[in-house]
Amino acid sequence: MSNRKRSALFTLLCLCILIPTTLILGSRLKGRWYYLTSTLIVVEAMIPFFYAFEIRKPKAGELVTVAVLAALAAVSRGAFAFLPHFKPVVGIIMIVGIAFGGEVGFLTGAIAAFASNFFFGQGPFTPWQMMSYGMGGFLAGAVFHRSWEKWEKKKLFPVALGSFGFLSVLLLVGPLLDICSLFTMSSTLSWDFAIACLSSGFFVNLTHSLSTLLTLLLLGKPLLAKLKRLQSKYGIWER
Amino acid sequence: MAHIEIRNLTFTYPGKETPSLQGIDLCIEAGEFVLLCGHSGSGKTSLLRHLKPVLCPHGKTEGSVRLNGRELSEIDGRTQASAVGFVMQDPDDQIVTDKVWHELAFGLESLGTEQKTMRLRVAEMASYFGIQGWFHRNVSELSGGQKQLLNLASVMAMQPEILILDEPTSQLDPIAAADFLNTVKKINRDLGTTVLITEHRLEEVYPYADRVVVMEKGKLLANGSPRQVGQLLYERHEELFSALPTPARVFYAVGERGQCPLTVREGRSWLTERFPQQPLPHREPKPRESKLSSEMALRLRDVWFRYEKDSPDILRQVELEVPQGCLYAIVGGNGTGKSTLLKTLCGICKAYRGKIELLGKPLKKYSSRELFRGCVTLLPQDPKSLFAKKTVREELEEMDGAPEQWQAMAKLCRIDGLTQQHPYDLSGGEQQRVALAKVLLTEPRILLLDEPTKGLDGAFKITFAGILRELCQKGLTIVMVSHDVEFCAEYGDLVGMFFDGQLLTTAEPRQFFGHNSFYTTAANRMSRCLFDKAVTVSDVTELYERNRKELGS
Amino acid sequence: MAKRDPFSEYHPLVCFLFFLTVILMGTVVRHPAYVLAGCVASGWYYGLLKGRGLLTMLLRLLPLLLLVSLLNPLFNPRGEHVLLRIFGRAFTWESLCFGFVTAGSFAQTILWFGCYNTVLTGDKFTSLFGNLIPALSLLLVMVLRMMGEQTRKLKQILHARSGIGKGITEQNSRREKLLHGMTALSALTDRALEGSIVTGNSMKARGYGCGRRTNFHSRRLRVGEWLCLLLFLFLLALTLCLGGMEAEFEPVIRTDPLGLGFLAYCGLLGVPIVLRIKESILWHILKYGI
Repeated sequence: MSNRKRSALFTLLCLCILIPTTLILGSRLKGRWYYLTSTLIVVEAMIPFFYAFEIRKPKAGELVTVAVLAALAAVSRGAFAFLPHFKPVVGIIMIVGIAFGGEVGFLTGAIAAFASNFFFGQGPFTPWQMMSYGMGGFLAGAVFHRSWEKWEKKKLFPVALGSFGFLSVLLLVGPLLDICSLFTMSSTLSWDFAIACLSSGFFVNLTHSLSTLLTLLLLGKPLLAKLKRLQSKYGIWER
Repeated sequence: MAHIEIRNLTFTYPGKETPSLQGIDLCIEAGEFVLLCGHSGSGKTSLLRHLKPVLCPHGKTEGSVRLNGRELSEIDGRTQASAVGFVMQDPDDQIVTDKVWHELAFGLESLGTEQKTMRLRVAEMASYFGIQGWFHRNVSELSGGQKQLLNLASVMAMQPEILILDEPTSQLDPIAAADFLNTVKKINRDLGTTVLITEHRLEEVYPYADRVVVMEKGKLLANGSPRQVGQLLYERHEELFSALPTPARVFYAVGERGQCPLTVREGRSWLTERFPQQPLPHREPKPRESKLSSEMALRLRDVWFRYEKDSPDILRQVELEVPQGCLYAIVGGNGTGKSTLLKTLCGICKAYRGKIELLGKPLKKYSSRELFRGCVTLLPQDPKSLFAKKTVREELEEMDGAPEQWQAMAKLCRIDGLTQQHPYDLSGGEQQRVALAKVLLTEPRILLLDEPTKGLDGAFKITFAGILRELCQKGLTIVMVSHDVEFCAEYGDLVGMFFDGQLLTTAEPRQFFGHNSFYTTAANRMSRCLFDKAVTVSDVTELYERNRKELGS
Repeated sequence: MAKRDPFSEYHPLVCFLFFLTVILMGTVVRHPAYVLAGCVASGWYYGLLKGRGLLTMLLRLLPLLLLVSLLNPLFNPRGEHVLLRIFGRAFTWESLCFGFVTAGSFAQTILWFGCYNTVLTGDKFTSLFGNLIPALSLLLVMVLRMMGEQTRKLKQILHARSGIGKGITEQNSRREKLLHGMTALSALTDRALEGSIVTGNSMKARGYGCGRRTNFHSRRLRVGEWLCLLLFLFLLALTLCLGGMEAEFEPVIRTDPLGLGFLAYCGLLGVPIVLRIKESILWHILKYGI
């Protein structure tokens, strides 16, 4: 069986069996079961990505590029020491996703989140952060990876990238993190509390989305060109 | 049967007309120590990489490379990986993992070595290289010299038959470099590992090599014992001659022929043989023209600096005066705070006590725009940290001057032919000059240089010194921090020694190096028994000839 | 320097399982006594590991805990005993208690993670998973290495740019700060990608990709570690089987009576602390003789 088939089968297994089982078993637990169950589901949803990377037996060049870009994303905030709330991390991860495809984008995001927590401390939010950063990269890859070279010449390309980044952080990446704090901090689940939690995170998410927008707008095209040069030079991540 | 046998090797990069390697024939016996030299771009690196197929550049290769009589490309990956060890130039980027122990084990892990064997080998290596003390450390805490030693050790852990080193010491300071080369010699001597090394700092390795191979434009120019090659280089007036060890250069410069001395010891005994009767009529070289201005461009009084509130002081009561239009060189060991001194001079690091005056005006009175436009500028140790654009031209244009201005600067720094290239595609020397041009476009009156000769080969150094001379004549004041004693002795107007957070003795180079016994040039160490204050090759040559004439007549 | 911690030197598998269990139990169980025990154990162990760091940690946690314990009753009006009414919503005693319990379990999660970060460092994590997920754990090691390297390079770039008058200060406009950061980041990307080529070559030169990799640091469990692991699993099984960790808060507070299960849970939580105490007693005996 080819690696692709094996990994597809594995993904199916995860999605159709593992996750529903967790949900059913989890909801039968008493106590505050929802954090445990939801985190388990988050972890299970990440496994197919990791599995696919593991069985493709990455070449040295592939391993090195993911590592260097994940590290770059993780340290990128340091360049904006004078703009304290500016977070370019997700923007960079999205660029990686666009250049090398959704799966690589996911992996870069997840590893960047995990590794930077070795410096800032792991916490109950770690899997959620990995998931949300990874999703940023994955979505960007899913939307733009096949077509970006066609659109690249268009004037509005950076704007399109930027607005995509803005929306996906505002609607997906940010709220995912808020859901985690909802689960760790609330004693019972109620719609009121959920709405309060999500809306209290709104301004943080808004600045985060704006950072992503600006990063993609200003850095998107040049960075994509650099990554493309690298890809053609080393023949990595070819389908 | 030779250990390595290269037959008629020709290699062309894709898209290039002329081959980078042309019909190379070379045999290396087991256990030999072979030094490969040549200018940057002479094809040294391409040749070395052909001995390690996984690193072979893309392109068209003809001819054959055999290891122990077997075609190298037919040998399986595992054997290739362990049999040929390869150490590259950059100490940082070669390291793959974050812990010292892991880095040592990396190669063995890749080969799937069994754990018991692996542990033993790693232990062996750590002990042999004296790494036990920092075995558990994070790689990022190591100094450049330690990192390069680690790179060597982790290659040696795989027990290679051949060790290939591509300019391994070019990023290290002289003491770390000497340490590194001694370890390589020890490996060659103790283990009988064949060594093939390229270097541009030849003073240390040249005398030790069994054989020297010189390359030029992709061809072998010379291949023989160090002494034979020395003579050949002299006779053909090769530029590379200037990279030979000092004793050999003096020997040929005064018109001697035959077996040349290579080490300071040999040079000294050759000199005493030539001048048996002492004292000599002329002991000191003719004084250089002194042209120091009485006006001070830079003045430091009682300057103190530390990074954090509780960290130790890096600068302690530094006093410094630099006259306008001179080249002031600061020498001193690694990690003594020389680079910090430069950053403090221009306010990137803020001194917490003391006075700093630039061009007669206190540093604090300058706004940052005034300061770095037309007053002072700093060329960092690694020129790459200044690059942010796609071409050299864009790099220069970033400094928002008029087109004529950057074109003139490109000409001055001799990079006018490179403006369309990507800065990362240039050689180290060219990168250094692009960075210099960029820095000079701020039209400074004081130029600060941090290790400007690091990683430059001899020819580039001469070009670079020429540019500096030209700038000084235009009235620019240059403060340079350097490990390169020979360069400071040759081109500096004043030299100061930095140690333990303080600037000790300042003097003109002859005075300064003439009185030191360790921290001085090879020319001085070789000739101090006969002459005083002779610190450069030309000093020694001049004194030799004057004395010969006087005694001979 | 902090004293040696015997549990930190145990096989990473033991440490990993321990933290996994106590953190998961901590987030699920809402019996007040269990939560309290978790808080005490995690705080105690954190204090042993970090010394006075515990104090700063508690000071930082306190406002967050207050917020958690007061916010919950605001959103959850269920419960018998109404304390007061805010904008017509009931603020009940039961709900407040539930809030406290939630805050407690939040606190212990944070504290356990604090201990986890000290005990299970990056290299232990990768040595634990090196055989299961070789490519990913190598990837993680490389990212950790490159983060250090790139932080250093970024600093060099920022300094270099200041040196040619392209630096930034508080006085610059936001636009300038932004553009400055972007240029620095782009320069760092170039340098990092350039460096990654060398790293890739260095990996290939040392045989990466030749075949299956082995793991230098993986080792078998020692007898003592086996014993500790078995004891730990036994206590866990006891806790789970004996039960008694249910609690209801609404409409009235009702908790299971404490029993052997709770004792087992306390024993479970106390493993690293007991090891520490045992070690120091053993040393005293060794040092001063019997």
